[in-house]
Amino acid sequence: MKHIFKIIAMLVAIAAIWIALIETSTVPRSYTWLLPIYLVVALGCYGLFMVGFGLMFFPTCPQEAVLLQQDIVEAKEFLSKKGVDVGSE
Amino acid sequence: MELGDKAVGFLLTMTSLSIFTYYTFWVIILPFVDNDHFVHKYFLPREYAILIPVLAGVILLSFLSVFLGFVMLKSKKKKTT
Repeated sequence: MKHIFKIIAMLVAIAAIWIALIETSTVPRSYTWLLPIYLVVALGCYGLFMVGFGLMFFPTCPQEAVLLQQDIVEAKEFLSKKGVDVGSE
Repeated sequence: MELGDKAVGFLLTMTSLSIFTYYTFWVIILPFVDNDHFVHKYFLPREYAILIPVLAGVILLSFLSVFLGFVMLKSKKKKTT
């Protein structure tokens, strides 16, 4: 709930800056109209960047995988010794 | 497998960074450069700065809805059989 207030406050601040830029027209108006689309494009780029970055440095732990496979083999042996059907390999 | 994932991630990162840099240059910095500067040769007219993102968004959205409809049709068929 707190997060959404932060986002709304940010959007309001951006809108205020944008309206001020339009009203005072320090830069030509046709350039100011491009800013919302620029923001959308920047948001898309940010999302794409985050996905790519997460994919690049995806945390894996190969040693733990080996240990887990060892545990599985051990458990299967134990269970089949006790007469529980654990299915074929 | 892992190497392929890393390559895809690197590609995505580079694509997003290059698009962001180019678009920032186009929209934010270019208005402050003189009209007859040589940099203007490397950018399309400004109308395309609106047209291309909107077109990309529309294409993305339609592709997404087609995909969603396809998945829903598929799941419905599975339920009836």
